[in-house]
Amino acid sequence: MSPTNYLLLSALLFSIGTVGVLVRRNAIVVFMCVELMLNAVNLSLVTFSRINGSLDGQVMAFFVMVVAAAEVVVGLSIIMAIFRTRRTASVDDANLLKY
Amino acid sequence: MGSQSFSDALGVDYGALAPLLIVLGGACVSVLLEAVLPRVRRRSVQLVFSLAVVVVALAAVIIRATSGAGDVVVLAGSLSVDAPGLFLWGTLLALAVPSVLMLADRSVEPGGVFVADPEALAEAQERVGAGSLRSTSSGLPSGTGTDTHGVVGRRGGAGPEPTTPPEMHTEIFPFVLFALGGMLAFSAANDLLTMFVALEVLSLPLYLLCGLARRRRLLSQEAAVKYFLLGAFASAFFLYGVALLYGYAGSVRLADIAASAAGPLRSDALLFAGLALLVVGLMFKASVGPFHTWTPDVYQGAPTPVTAFMAACTKVAAFGAILRVFTVAFGTTALEWRGVLWAVAIASMVIGTVLGITQTDLKRMVAYSSVAHAGFILIGCLAITPAGLSGTLFYLLAYGFTTIAILGLVSLVRSGDGEAGHLSGYAGLAQRSPVVAAALSFCLLALAGVPLTSGFTAKFAVFSAGLADGMAPLVIVGLVCSAIAAFFYLRVIVLMYFSDPAPDGPTVSLPGPMTTVAITLGVAVTLLLGVLPTAALEWAGAGTFLG
Amino acid sequence: MTTTIGEAIGFWILGPVALAGGLGMVFSRNAVHSALWLVLTMLSLGVIYMLQAAPFLGFTQIIVYTGAIMMLFVFVLMMVGRDASDSVVEVLRGQRVAAAVLGIGLAGLMIGAVAQSVGVPLAAGAPSGSNVGGLGLLVFQRYLLAFELTSALIITGAVGAMVYTFAGRAKSKAITQKERVAERLRGPLEKFGSRSGPGVFATADSVATPALLPDGSVAPESLSAIIEATARERLGHATELSRPGDEHDTAAHSHHAERGEIQGSQT
Repeated sequence: MSPTNYLLLSALLFSIGTVGVLVRRNAIVVFMCVELMLNAVNLSLVTFSRINGSLDGQVMAFFVMVVAAAEVVVGLSIIMAIFRTRRTASVDDANLLKY
Repeated sequence: MGSQSFSDALGVDYGALAPLLIVLGGACVSVLLEAVLPRVRRRSVQLVFSLAVVVVALAAVIIRATSGAGDVVVLAGSLSVDAPGLFLWGTLLALAVPSVLMLADRSVEPGGVFVADPEALAEAQERVGAGSLRSTSSGLPSGTGTDTHGVVGRRGGAGPEPTTPPEMHTEIFPFVLFALGGMLAFSAANDLLTMFVALEVLSLPLYLLCGLARRRRLLSQEAAVKYFLLGAFASAFFLYGVALLYGYAGSVRLADIAASAAGPLRSDALLFAGLALLVVGLMFKASVGPFHTWTPDVYQGAPTPVTAFMAACTKVAAFGAILRVFTVAFGTTALEWRGVLWAVAIASMVIGTVLGITQTDLKRMVAYSSVAHAGFILIGCLAITPAGLSGTLFYLLAYGFTTIAILGLVSLVRSGDGEAGHLSGYAGLAQRSPVVAAALSFCLLALAGVPLTSGFTAKFAVFSAGLADGMAPLVIVGLVCSAIAAFFYLRVIVLMYFSDPAPDGPTVSLPGPMTTVAITLGVAVTLLLGVLPTAALEWAGAGTFLG
Repeated sequence: MTTTIGEAIGFWILGPVALAGGLGMVFSRNAVHSALWLVLTMLSLGVIYMLQAAPFLGFTQIIVYTGAIMMLFVFVLMMVGRDASDSVVEVLRGQRVAAAVLGIGLAGLMIGAVAQSVGVPLAAGAPSGSNVGGLGLLVFQRYLLAFELTSALIITGAVGAMVYTFAGRAKSKAITQKERVAERLRGPLEKFGSRSGPGVFATADSVATPALLPDGSVAPESLSAIIEATARERLGHATELSRPGDEHDTAAHSHHAERGEIQGSQT
């Protein structure tokens, strides 16, 4: 089996995440789709790390995890705040800002 | 072994790193100050401390730039301190000074934009019996931005003092310092991983700052959510680009990518797919072209001082990174990808101009104007020549100060329920407040690119660099768009000078000393760079990127 | 170096599971189900990392990503909008079709780009030394700056979460007992203090009910000037209270007064 299969899986997962961001309406689910995209990237990084024979890719995957953790904290607190104000987490209802 | 050999192996050059270390260390101290200081003293101490940090860091940049120390790559090649990088750092820190001043100001509305608890503040003022205050009932805010406790035409300090000084979210100061540190690292990052982490370091505080206007929290939080979700989406694209480039080059250092691209190692599909995804992430941050969708909403919804900080500094940092990536990592393959980015630049200019005309809210208009300007700046980035580099750097400096001045002025024009964003509120402003109208007109003319303003010099530098590099069609589109864009800037000026003010129109608040300093600085630099641009242009052209 | 049969088997089991998790997340209407599907994807990716000679990363994926980050998601989902399921109504016409087309296009492009590297041989030697040791060396030497920058990120996250979710009003000054008594005595029950204490026979503690002196007569100061029923009493028409025609009126008044008093004494 060629390690390219992992890269193809990663590309598919990334695309699924992208579609999810575009079609889902709940802000938290949209955010989860972004997490799926980050996971897909991690899979690519690990695979490339193996193909290249260096550990840099794995280190980068670590950094992605740390960044994702911080991002989740910030994102979820923003979503909580808007939910408290409006009682909804749907991105469709966030429609005040338009011309 | 010991610390000596360890730092040798890393190549830690504290002199070169000083500005970054000062800002990030200052941010950490600022968080500690938040924890140990009593509530009443936090604001003043934090303000003085943040300003001191920014000024000291700026001094460190200037010392470094004038000391003749050569360009170095520090920390095992993750940060490149070179002449353009120092110019970008200087620009960022210089723009941070008026931004911090505007963020701290609370003369325009009681308690400032970042008041922690507007309802409590309103109640406190009610108790004191300020008859001119009206307090709306608490509870779930209704409708749009009308859940505000408007105070019409009145200085916070002028009326009866509330029993306790209104509290504000003093956490904004560490946030701003962290964001600034992220911007410094972002514009000087020499490998893509550092660039990615720095991108997040600059973004997260900005997401948070956007949602902190508690007075108009519906709009503000909506802006924060939109910015956050789209920002996370874009950074995922950026990251996938990084992964593909790592797969291509086996390293994420910009210079290694360029070296791999020069050798016939692998098929270029990975290289260009990676570049495309990377560019999506970068363009998003710089609010270029088709990736601008967050810009108007966030500019309008965020607290105005945050908009100013974001519009000026994020753009500088993002274009700094774009310049570095294009020049260092992809300079050798420019011929192959530049055509696609021509389309992006054209799209950005056209979208910004055409949609800018249709706007009725001044902040949204500034947002679309920033999209158009991003297109102009991109012309300079695409000309991978020293002239393009210096032109772009100069443009960023000029644009940043003009935008800060405009947004500072916008925050002064207020109607009952907050800022009078709508253009109709600006009718006859010259009769109510000639100074504000004159300053705003001057800045709008600078955005339009009229001679004797910095905008003209900047556009001239960028367009001439584009022409010299054989991008005549792009420059022509740029000129046409500038001409069309001048229409909507002039429309505002005509509105201010040649129409009668509405009887119940907005009032112009007297700015406090901090906003005054910020606006004056913005206008003065706009004028100075228009009349005497030589020194800044020379510094901008002092060197090239070091790989 | 090439992959082993065992790894291939692992991939062909876990890969489809990961894909199913991703699709399940996008297509399940309920947000909690989406989160659980995503957990499935993340777990299988963790195992795939282990297959790919990244054991430490694999465990971190399971512990940190699945264990901490996803649980935070589920936690917030349980607080916010657990019942919310996405509506099937399209707000923007044709958005889903456009998104699907875009997604398929993106997948095609990515696969096209990646497939070019088909047949790329794995690097001759796997990284020597232990996995964790190698990672540590890289983190603390080559990527030291990025590592330090993540600390800024985490501080920002912590402070930000506190600013956003701590909805604390400043503590109002504690009211002393003395102030509370004084306030009560200046309230609607001026002169007559609080309600009757335990052990006191009282049929009502409404202001409309007059206080009785020890000899059984009505205390004149206890008659409220503003309540009609007691005002009549002041005029000496106490008997009229029992007239049937007035009953409803009186009851309404006394009820009103009582409510006012209770509110007053609770402040």
